[in-house]
This record gives sequence, C-alpha cells and structure tokens, in this order.
Amino acid sequence: MAIIEEPLALETGSPGTVDQPLGMLTRPKGGNGWRDWVSTVDHKKIGIMYGVAAMFFFVVGGIEALLIRVQLAVPDGQVLSAGLYNQLFTMHGVTMVFLFIMPLAAAFANYLIPLQIGARDVAFPRLNALSFWIWISGAVFVNSSWFLGGGADCGWFCYSPNSGVTFSPGNGVDFYVFGLLIAGIASMVSSINLIVTVLNMRAPGMHLFRMPVLTWMLLVTQFLLVFALPVITVALFLLMFDRLFDSQFFNPEAGADPLLWQNLFWIFGHPEVYIIILPSFGIISEIIPTFSRKPIFGYSFMVFSGIAIGFMGWGVWAHHMFVSGIGPMSVAAFSLSTMFIAVPTGVKILNWLATMWGGKLRFSTAMLFAVGSIAMFTIGGVSGVTHALAPADTQQTDTYYIVAHFHYVIFGGGVLGLMGGAYFWWPKIFGHMLDETWGKVHFWVMLIGMNLTFGPMHVLGLQGMSRRIDTYAAGFGFEAWNMVATIGSFVIAFAVLIFFVNVYRSYKAAPSLPAPGPDPWDARSLEWMVPSPTPEHNFDEIPVVESEDEWWHRKYGYDEDNRVVRIATIEEAAQDGSAVGVHLPAPSFWPLVVAVGMPLIAYGLMFTLWLTVVGGALTAFGLYSWALEPVDDPDADHGHGDGHHGDGDDDHDDGGDTDEPTMAGVTAGDDAGGE
Amino acid sequence: MSDPVTKPRRRVPRLGFVLLLGLVLAGCASDAELDTLQPRSGVADEIYDLALPVFIIAGVVLTLVCGAVLYLGIKNRVATYEGDDEFPEQISHNNSLEIAWTIAPAIVMAVIAVLTLQTHFSINSTEANAMTIEVAGETVEWEPTIVVVGQQWWWEFRYYLDGTQITADDLENPWDLPPADIVTSGQLAIPTGEEVELIVTSRDVIHSFWIPQLNGKRDAVPGRFSPWKIEADDPGVYFGQCTEFCGLSHSRMRMQTIAMTPSDFQDWIDMQMAPASFDDELQPYVDAFRAGEPATVPDDASAALRGLDVFAGQCASCHLVNGFNDLTYDGAETVSGSAPNLTNLMSNTTFAGGILNLYNPDGSFNRDDLARWIRDPAAVKDNRADDLPDGEMPRGMPDRNLTERQIDDVIAFLETLGSSPGDEIILATEVE
Amino acid sequence: MATATVDTALDTAHEDHGSSTGISNTKLAMWVFLGSECLLFGGLISTYLLYKTRRGPGPTNLAIPTDVFDIPFTSVSSFVLLMSSLTMVLALSALTRGDNAATRTWLLATATLGGVFIGGQVYEFTTFLREGVGFTSNPASSAFFTLTGFHGVHVSMGILMLMSLYVASVQGNLTPKNTETVEIVGLYWHFVDVVWIFIFTVIYLIPA
Repeated sequence: MAIIEEPLALETGSPGTVDQPLGMLTRPKGGNGWRDWVSTVDHKKIGIMYGVAAMFFFVVGGIEALLIRVQLAVPDGQVLSAGLYNQLFTMHGVTMVFLFIMPLAAAFANYLIPLQIGARDVAFPRLNALSFWIWISGAVFVNSSWFLGGGADCGWFCYSPNSGVTFSPGNGVDFYVFGLLIAGIASMVSSINLIVTVLNMRAPGMHLFRMPVLTWMLLVTQFLLVFALPVITVALFLLMFDRLFDSQFFNPEAGADPLLWQNLFWIFGHPEVYIIILPSFGIISEIIPTFSRKPIFGYSFMVFSGIAIGFMGWGVWAHHMFVSGIGPMSVAAFSLSTMFIAVPTGVKILNWLATMWGGKLRFSTAMLFAVGSIAMFTIGGVSGVTHALAPADTQQTDTYYIVAHFHYVIFGGGVLGLMGGAYFWWPKIFGHMLDETWGKVHFWVMLIGMNLTFGPMHVLGLQGMSRRIDTYAAGFGFEAWNMVATIGSFVIAFAVLIFFVNVYRSYKAAPSLPAPGPDPWDARSLEWMVPSPTPEHNFDEIPVVESEDEWWHRKYGYDEDNRVVRIATIEEAAQDGSAVGVHLPAPSFWPLVVAVGMPLIAYGLMFTLWLTVVGGALTAFGLYSWALEPVDDPDADHGHGDGHHGDGDDDHDDGGDTDEPTMAGVTAGDDAGGE
Repeated sequence: MSDPVTKPRRRVPRLGFVLLLGLVLAGCASDAELDTLQPRSGVADEIYDLALPVFIIAGVVLTLVCGAVLYLGIKNRVATYEGDDEFPEQISHNNSLEIAWTIAPAIVMAVIAVLTLQTHFSINSTEANAMTIEVAGETVEWEPTIVVVGQQWWWEFRYYLDGTQITADDLENPWDLPPADIVTSGQLAIPTGEEVELIVTSRDVIHSFWIPQLNGKRDAVPGRFSPWKIEADDPGVYFGQCTEFCGLSHSRMRMQTIAMTPSDFQDWIDMQMAPASFDDELQPYVDAFRAGEPATVPDDASAALRGLDVFAGQCASCHLVNGFNDLTYDGAETVSGSAPNLTNLMSNTTFAGGILNLYNPDGSFNRDDLARWIRDPAAVKDNRADDLPDGEMPRGMPDRNLTERQIDDVIAFLETLGSSPGDEIILATEVE
Repeated sequence: MATATVDTALDTAHEDHGSSTGISNTKLAMWVFLGSECLLFGGLISTYLLYKTRRGPGPTNLAIPTDVFDIPFTSVSSFVLLMSSLTMVLALSALTRGDNAATRTWLLATATLGGVFIGGQVYEFTTFLREGVGFTSNPASSAFFTLTGFHGVHVSMGILMLMSLYVASVQGNLTPKNTETVEIVGLYWHFVDVVWIFIFTVIYLIPA
C-alpha cells in the first residue's frame, strides 16, 4: 500500500484524538519519546536509527579488531586463546560487513533516496520499518552468541565442511546461519522497497537520467542485493539443514562437494563487495561536484559504469577460488573477467578527477574524505588487479596481502566515503554542522591510522604471513610490520573517538551557532531545497524537475556569455517547511512485533523448540494484525480505490510474500516469517 | 589545517614509498623463509616474473592517480566560496575523452591478460620426467608424484614407488587410500631438479598446501584430488604454513619441504623403506602382539620395552609403526591417517604439526618438548580431543593421562624408531 | 496553493495511477520479488543438478530419488498444477466482469488444484521414505527433498493467499476494484507453476 499511506487529516505532528474503533489495531499517532521511534514509519527516522545502530556495531567490530591486533602485536601472542581469536576474527568480519557497512549504507539510502527523487517517503513505509527492526533483531541475535556459548568461529565465509556440526559442534555457526538469514530477510525487504521507490516515486520530471548519481548507485546496489541475497539464503538453508537435520549437503564422506558452499557463497559474496562499495561511490559523486563547483563529469558514463560494475560483478565470483582446485580453464576464464571489471572502476576514478579538473576545490571535511577515499580505493583497486593474475594469486590469496587489499577497498573506499557522507549530510539530518576543525583532525588521524594498519599488511602477505593465524613464529620477518599495524589500529580507534567527540561537541555547540540553513554547502540535489533538519513531510510541495542537478539550476543560470550567474538566493529558492495538513503514513507497532518473533524462532531451533512456537506465533500474530490494521484512520474517506493492499510482508525465503488485501479482514496469512 | 590540500597528496606517495621500502627490506631479511619475493624454483620464478611487471604497472597507475589528485588539489584549491560568484567553466562531459579512457585501461588489461594466461597454463602443465630410483633393491622408473593429505592439524605425505604411475584419477576416497610405500608427516622430502607432481587432498576440512618459495598454494579439499606441482633448484629447506582456515589450530599447522640431491634422496628412500628394526628385547613382544597374543611386560624390563607396551596400549590405535601394528599384522583394524605414521620418527626433525623440534640445535634429542607434548597435547597446541561427548571424533592428539614414568618409557621406545638425519638438516629445519 | 499541489501529488501517488513507471507499487514489488525468487530456485536447482547422482560412499550404494520416482504419477500432479494456472486466469477474468460467484468458484478451484498437487507431493515423499530414500540418505536425496520442499512451501503460501481472497470475496470485500490484487496473486501463482516446469524437467525428464 501505499506510498504515502492514506491521508490522515491531521497536522504534522499533531497529537490528535480519534475514535479507536479497532482497539489495538488502530494505528498509533506517533507522538513523543521512544514510542515515536519504535512505531515510526518515517524514512528519515528509520535512516537515523540505521545510522546510530551501525555506528554502535562499528565500535563493537572495532573492539574485536583491536583485540586481534593486540594478539598479533608480537610473535607467539598470548593474549587470546586460539578459540577466542577464531571467534573474534569471524565476528569482526560478520559485524563489519553485515552490521556496520551495509546498514550504514542503508542509513544513507533510507534517508536520502526519497529526498533526492522528490518523494515524501518510500513506497512501503511500514515495510521499511519492518526491514530495520528485522535487521536489528538479527544483529542483536548474532551478538547474543557471545553470551550463549561463543560466537561463530568459522571465518566470515564459513567454508564447509569446517562449518559442519562435526567440526564446529558449538552453537556459534548456528548463530551465524540464523543471524545472516534474518539480516538477509531485512535487506531483501528493504531493497525491494527501495527499488520500487526509485522506479515509481520520482517527482514529476525526475527522469531516470536526471537522478543524482548517489541514487543511481544505491539503485544498482539494491538490485545486486535482490539477486545476491537469495543465493546465500540457499547456502545458509543447506548449511542449517546439515547442522540441525542431518542432511548431507556438505558432508564429503557422503560424497558431497565442499566447493558447492564456496560457489554459492561467492556468487553472493562478490556482488556483496559492490554492495559495500557502490554507495560510497555515489556519495563521493555528490561531494566532489559540490566542492568543485562543477557538475559531475560524464554523468552518463558514471551511471553506466556503475551499472556495468553491477552486471560484471556477477561474472567474477570464482576468483575467490583460484586455489581451490576448480580446474585451469575455469581459473583462466574468471581471471580474465576479473581483470576487465577494473575498466569501469577506472572510468569512475578518471571521471572524479575530471570533475576536479578546472574546478574550484574547497577542502571541507567531506571533500577531504571523498578525495582521500579515491586515493585509498585506488590502492585497493590496483592490488586487486594483482589478484586477478591467477598465478600471482596462488601466492597472495589467504595471506595478509588479501587482508590489506580488501581493507583498502572496504575501509579506504567504503568507510572513508561514508564518513564523508556523514559530514556532508549532517546539517541536513540534524540541523547543525559538525565542527570542521575537529572533522579535519578526524580525517587526518583516520587516514594515517588506516595506512599504518593496512599498509604493512601488503608486506606481511608477500612475506608469507597467512591470514587467520592466531600466532606466528618469530624469525620470518613479521615482527616489525605487525607491531606497526597494531599501533595503526589504535590510531584508527583514536580517530573514531575524535569523531564521537566531534558529534558531542557539535551537538552542544549547535544552539550558539548560526543555523546552517537548507543548503550550507551550495549543493546540487533536491534534498538541499528543504529546511535543515528535514521536516517530517520532506517537501512542502513536490518539486517539478526540469534538469539534472535540479536544485543547483534553481539557484544558478547562465548569462549570454555562458557564465554562471545567480538567479535566486538559497532562501528564495528553498522551501520553508511550513506546509500543514500534509498527509503522512501513520506509525505502526506491528513491524517491531513481527521482527521480534524472528530471533525467537531461531533460538528455539537451536535450544528448545517451544521458543520457536512462541516466536512463530508472535510473528504470525504481528503479520495478521498488520494486515488487519487500517491503512490509517479507518474513518477517513478514501474517495477512491479501496484497493489498498497491506504492504506485502515479503519473506523471500519461503515464499511467503505479498500478502494481500487489507481492506477488511483479509489476511494473507503468510506466517512463517521466520523459516 | 591551513593547508589541507597538500597533505593528502604528500601522504599517498609516502605510503607507496613505505610499501616499496617494506618490500626491499623484506627482500633483504635473511630469515624470511616464507617470502614469496624470494622464489627458489622455476615455477615460483615464473609467478614472480609475472607479478613483478604488474606490480610496477600498478605502481605507475597509483602514482598517476595520486599525482593527479595532488596536482589538482594544489592547483585548484580555494579557501572559501564566500563572496565568490565566479564559477569555473561548467564542463559536464566529453565523450571522446570518456571512450579513450575506457579503452586505454582495457588495452593495458588485455596485455596483462595475455601474460597471465601464458604463465597460468605453464604452471598448470606437467612434464613427463621419470627418474630412476632403487626401491628395495629393484630399479624403478618413478615419475615423482606424492600424495599430500591434510588433516587437523598436520600434513601426511604418501609416496607410491612401485613403478605404477599414480594419478588423481586413481584415487577415490581420502579416508581409504591405497597402502603407500613411504608415509611421512610434516616434512616433505623431494629430489632437486625434478618436477614433483603433488596430488592434494584432505581427510576432514579444507586446508591449503603452500611452500611460498617453491610455488603458490593449492587447497586440500576433502573428497577432491587436486593436481599441483613443486620443484626446487637447490638442496635446502623451504618452510610453509597451512593457508586455508582449518579450525582451532590452523596457525599451528606448519610444514617444510626438504629438497635433496637425487643421491641423497635415494639414501632417504632407503632409510624410509627399511621397516622398523626392533632389538632382541623388543622383537618377541612385537611377534606376540602381531600374533594377537599380547605379552605382559615385567616391571623390571627395559624402558624401551615398557614404552612399547605403553605404545601398544595407548597409542597404537591411531599411530602406525610399520613392522609392529601396520596393516599386515593379524587383526589390524587401524587405518593410517588418524595420526602420523611413526615408523621413522627419529628421521624427522619436527613434530606436532611442524611446531616443535625433535632435536636440539646441538644435535641432541629434544626430550623435554616431546615429553611436554605427550603429557598434555592441548596445552602445547589447541585441540578438541579430550572430554568429548559421545560419538564425537577427537580432533588432534588426546591426553592419554600417562604417568611420568610411562612418558619416559614411551619416549625411550620412540627413540628407537629411525635415526637422526644429521646435524645439517637439524639446523636447517629448526622451527621457532 | 501549496496544499493543493500536495494533495494532487498524494492522490496520484496514492492511487498508483501516477507512478513513474505506470505500474503500481505493489505489482512492481511483486515483479522484483519474483526476480529474486528466480535466483533462489536457481541456487536450489543447481544444487540438485550437482548432486543428483551422488549416492554416498561405500558398498551400500544407497538409493537416490531417480531410482524410485514414478514419472507418470508426478506427470499427472504436474498437469494438475498447470491447470490451476488456467483457473487462476479464469478467476481474474470473472472478477473483472464483476461475477463474484464465478470468481469464488475459480479461486476455490485454483486452491483445490494446488492442494491436490501438494497432496501428491506428500504422497511421493512418503513413498520415497518407504523405499529408503530419506532426507538424510545422501546428497542426492537431500537436494531432492530441499528443492521440491521449497517449491511445495511456495505452493502452500499461494494456497493461503488464494484462500484469503476467497474469504474476502465471501465477505463481499473482493470487487472489480480489487482486480489488481487478484492479478498480483496470480502473478505469484503463475511463477510458482513455471518454476515447477523447470523442476519437473530437471528432476524427472533429464536422464541422470
């Protein structure tokens, strides 16, 4: 249902009182405090919650990383036991990939996509809330393993048969399996929602090829998710069946092939790399034009190279398996395809440089992060090319050289870009700027820290240090570089601390500083035409889009000499957020209820079945009530079309899915939210 | 922060320099036995020769990109947009430029691709290179082939020397491999100057066999028999480490390759092929054991005999000693593979998955570490072998709860198995 | 002024007529979801293809599904499932005409045919179990039960949706205005049928 679910004849934020003929099924009216947050369906609040939760797990994953580095600081480290070390590096990877980078990108996607395309919310606001709550329940579930017997200890790609119950008898791998399944459902629902939003909810005139590059990259990301997640879902189900129900998918003694898991995992896993990196590419593509005072160079090439990466990302997965014995012909084919995926990536880098060419560069913190991200990503990119050489990869894979490579890609390309995005959109989201001086210190400390940490890992890998070893012997030349890397990791931690201090200080200082206004950076896309922070209804009126970089063109035009001249001040061109009576989707508690049931189902399958019954009942009850819940105020007169359907509660796993009509009392009881 | 622009630029080249310096330093380190940049074989050379120019190309690309960032940042930087209504020229695209820089990297990649494919097929090809060896007094044409079996957390090497060429297609079940002429663990002996084909497999989880100076790695996948090869130009000892995460003691699964001249290799074969020789005191016990009527050992017997008795009771269900509990004796049920074959234990210089020395640097027997290992294996190397729930197979060596005297005795027996390989090997293979 | 614009925008958005693509949100979401489902079944079918002859080790040579399946029986139940696509189309067409009684009949017929298919699957599973081909026997049987089981769950979900529509119709809540809802359920139902054609071909028609 709807988009903006049906008009609610209330002023934004008005407490309002309405009859509640349906008792608990009457939709809450929002209001104040925590109730507002847990029942919200506002894409902006959901985005903020994604961001806050992601930063929390960044700290968790960071602490895990510091423990790893402490253990490896000197040869024969004694700080951690082998078992604990194995859990830590597994959970570090799982946390950083699934609980930090992906949700942080989701935070930007949720907050910015509707604003950038000129919409009031996403296509299915309640489903959006559902995605968040399912994701966070999966995140909490995975981390609860620390208190219930220990985390997964199989590495983030959890190769079979080591992940089987024979070799990993504890519950750690079960937490991994169910946690990723639950998080996968969340990502699945979210990506369908966002795809529909981008394709269907654009403002008048916002053609696909007028959308900001960020929205484009996020759209490609969502498509990658939609098609990659079912593949790992299959793999996780097979592993779960093996572990819980004694099937024979990964038991080599019964004739199974352990490479099945690797193929399924990496068919998901390689697109996943682009799922991680493309949002950052999009953010960089917003920041650099703004601080170069030029349009992005080669907009269509930027977009098509992103799409090309999205497609080619499906044809390279086996480069993770060059040494697994898949046969020389397969290796040769995947080696070639991997080399050529470097081409569209290179096109992006050159286009960013061309945007800076002849521009007027202002190095705000956001710009520093964006430019730093390009440089750091380039390091990860060229080391990636060296892996594409299958013969060279037989020396490099599973060593610290790989660890260095993907940290330059993910941390350098991904995290730095997302951090730049945080500085860039902070005023839009919170209504005050982050301190620029602290921000620049943050940038430099983080850049130095990451190079100290991950730079030496190139050397260590080429010196022959395997990854995932909890100790190493003295005498192989590893000592000095490991110590440098450990020091570097604490420099990164210090940088993150600086960021949090900056957040706190900026928040405290905000009241005494001038408000940033709608457009503090003289930026280019539609989100900057609404006040900061964004009003609940986003746009007073939906803008009619006439060009790429619509907002910039509302501020500037060209004179007869084709020079840029200002045609309107920001204040003149911007909306003031004063619209009243904008009908917004009503809040709902049911997404939360549905989500809470899912980890219970998983706990039950692992420990005691009655919890599964409780969780299943809770989820089913949530879905049922959701379907019965009026789209908004039952007394509102819709005038047209009674054909609202409840937001489909897509459960991609077992096909529950679209549920249907909501009108009265019809529910598509697709229970099974949990599998 | 007055000049935020120049710093990022400076930073990046410096990183490249640090990297380069690191590589150089690594190249100079005398003790870097795992170093991929010090190839010691034809195959490793080929890989190195492919990687080096690509590293250089990568360095050039990196320098160009970072140089461009640096240049643009310095040249185009402005402090603020306040009061500046002069916009730069609003160039939004240039299609011929775009096409040029789409094609240019594609051409570079195509060149790299050709080089890569050449090397790739070269290192995956094998040559027919039979060598003549003496096996139990008979001359055999042997095309060097060794079956490499990974398990938690040590490597087994199986030599089939009967003259029939074994290939990956002959093998079906890693849990039931055909009996081999020589079975060793932890240290792979190869002749120099010969291409040695490896058939890599595993009995439990995935491991990866890697001797960096001799070749890249190949995963040992249970149920699969993956071909690989290895060769060494010069005699010497080349270190390795399992590189696919394989569970608890992954980091303590190490191995060495000892390359010997063909004549030394022949001597090594002769030594390994000789069955365990038991002295007059042990032989009757062995005979009785093989006949299925274990003898009782008086308390005042020699330490070695008492040790043999302990071995028979506590160790022989997993460890094989050819001539004692091998597969030819009456009623044998043990399948080799659950633990290393100890027939020529003393000819090895490392044990416990390649992490402990069997000899001290002065050539004397390292009794202390062996005792420590037998006393409580899990304290030396994490495992999952003790206090297991029903039905769970031990992973690693269990603690047999031997008394100190039993430990001394069993070590006395183990000392009789094979002979030292000599001080030179002992020094060259020393670990930690 | 502002408000007027707002209302216009909302109206279009609300009724989906004005969506940027011209396809309603819900239907577009279903299409995307079904695209994703293709990969889910793709993964399961690939797994089955890889494992279809793997009996497990040793001399016991356990039976695999292709040893014991009954092609004529499954062909009949496949035919039943395909026929349900026809009745689904008839239900939609009846609703479009406003013929509620016929709509209900065809919805019920579709669900019943689906139910017959599921019944056939349950029967097949029990037969397999009797013949010694269980879920845990060997990789081939694990893959068979997982693939067909996942499909069976999808069919069951479809039946639940159809029954929900039926109940709505009985309560008088299914009118020609809801045509699209039925159409979307139909999309799902046809997809599940098409997937079965692939599965049937892979398991029963392509020789081992």
